[in-house]
Amino acid sequence: MDKLSENASDDFLGNSSDDKKAAYVSLKGVGHKYDPSPDTPMVVQNIDLDIHRHEFVAVVGPSGCGKSTLLRMVAGLLIPSHGDVSVFNLPVTEPRDDVGIVFQKANLLPWLTVRKNVLFPLKHKYGSYSANDEKRANELLEMAGLTQFADKMPDELSGGMQQRVGIIRALLLNPDILLMDEPFSALDALTREQIGFDLLDIWKEHPKTVLFITHSITEAVLLSDRILVMSKRPGTVLDMIDVDLPRPRSQKTINSPRFAELTDLIRGYIYEPNTPA
Amino acid sequence: MNQTLPLKSWIQHQANRFAPALFFISLVALWELICQLGNVPNYILPSPSAIITAFFNVEFSRWMTHLWATLRVALMGFVLSICIALPLSIGMMRSELMNRILYPALIVIQSTPVVAVAPLIIVLLGTDDPSRVLITCLITFFPLVVSTTTGMLETPPEMIELSQSLRAPRYRETWQIRIPYAIPHIFSGLRVSITLAIIGAVVAEFVAAEEGLGYFIQFSTSFFKIPQAFAGLIFLSVISLLLFKSVQWVQIWLFPWSLPKKKL
Repeated sequence: MDKLSENASDDFLGNSSDDKKAAYVSLKGVGHKYDPSPDTPMVVQNIDLDIHRHEFVAVVGPSGCGKSTLLRMVAGLLIPSHGDVSVFNLPVTEPRDDVGIVFQKANLLPWLTVRKNVLFPLKHKYGSYSANDEKRANELLEMAGLTQFADKMPDELSGGMQQRVGIIRALLLNPDILLMDEPFSALDALTREQIGFDLLDIWKEHPKTVLFITHSITEAVLLSDRILVMSKRPGTVLDMIDVDLPRPRSQKTINSPRFAELTDLIRGYIYEPNTPA
Repeated sequence: MNQTLPLKSWIQHQANRFAPALFFISLVALWELICQLGNVPNYILPSPSAIITAFFNVEFSRWMTHLWATLRVALMGFVLSICIALPLSIGMMRSELMNRILYPALIVIQSTPVVAVAPLIIVLLGTDDPSRVLITCLITFFPLVVSTTTGMLETPPEMIELSQSLRAPRYRETWQIRIPYAIPHIFSGLRVSITLAIIGAVVAEFVAAEEGLGYFIQFSTSFFKIPQAFAGLIFLSVISLLLFKSVQWVQIWLFPWSLPKKKL
């Protein structure tokens, strides 16, 4: 059985322009506290967010503002105590098959080769994988420029290469939604910029609905279509900013005046005068 | 050998390399010296040379008989405690209730001095291997349970989230993620346990046995053959050291990725 065919949402939804306008991932009045008692503070509250299909949305905010909590709600790993999360009009009550997650650290299994790490989601979910699946893993490895590292162990790879493996592992099941939880924060600045552009290339060729959590304002502006700016805890929506920079984005984008305007605008929210960092 | 190295640093390098061996040899030499010069009688503190002589005075086949008796009990107890500790740890990791019930019981068992319980176990199970294996097992399984459980609980939470996001069955979470992550912890537990297994076997022999290295030491001591008792003791330590090393070799052989990374 070809396990990949289970993710047939692409065929089902088609690529008509109507879908692009409809909310694909939707959060309505979402709030969360880990303990129902009234004394417990909310982690996030009153979050409204609509993400369109194949849109790239970044979430920025000070650390501890509940950005990652938001991601876990969309992933179905955490059910919010208040409000509703839905994907394609269906409430999210458990993890979905069409969601891939990229974590802060690459989180590769140190006892598996790079190729087996990429195939791990299938091995873990179904217990085995087919020759077809292996072909797909090889294609993904080639896309990420990792073919010659396929049989190496993760600790033989640089941090940037490890995170590439983390990304293509999330793409293995061909998810429609890609959730990225500060995926590049452990990387050095140069690697970080390059892998960001690479991610955009992948996204262009294989459109996904992306929710990208980051604490880097420039990264958010450089990569995304829209940016959700969150306040410090309890996290609320401060603004939703349209990033009207032309695509494809490149090094030139960073030097454009509009880029500076947008980053300044967001900085204004994050570093409020009366809130010491 | 690196020829370009100046002689002085070459000497330093060699001195560093053989420092542990040199220290050990000088210690033995000092011991010999004290015994010879101080005329210390052999039944109080035998000299190293007397111990070596005593070792070779005992027939090889006799050594092997005693060694086999001790090794057999130690290894059976060790394997038995692995068989108990692993499922127990998995159970305690997966079920909060099991953890709450078993943890106090384990603490009670661990706090009870096994040496004191040993005679009672002999009364209960007789003077043969089963009681000796049980005594060994009681001494060895606690560090294994603790290290295995700790290892499984220290799995990165993101890996568990990955498993949950895939909605994988929980047994695969245990076998494909948690247990491999626990391997370094399990092996440090095994290293402690294997040396405890020898202690367990010797304790059991002290209580009731007709053979084994523990029995041999006790028997030699009671006949004032102190050099022979020392020979038995040193033989036992060497065996214990070899077992400890074998556990390390098994880890290097089977799970090379689990070793601490060398910083270059």
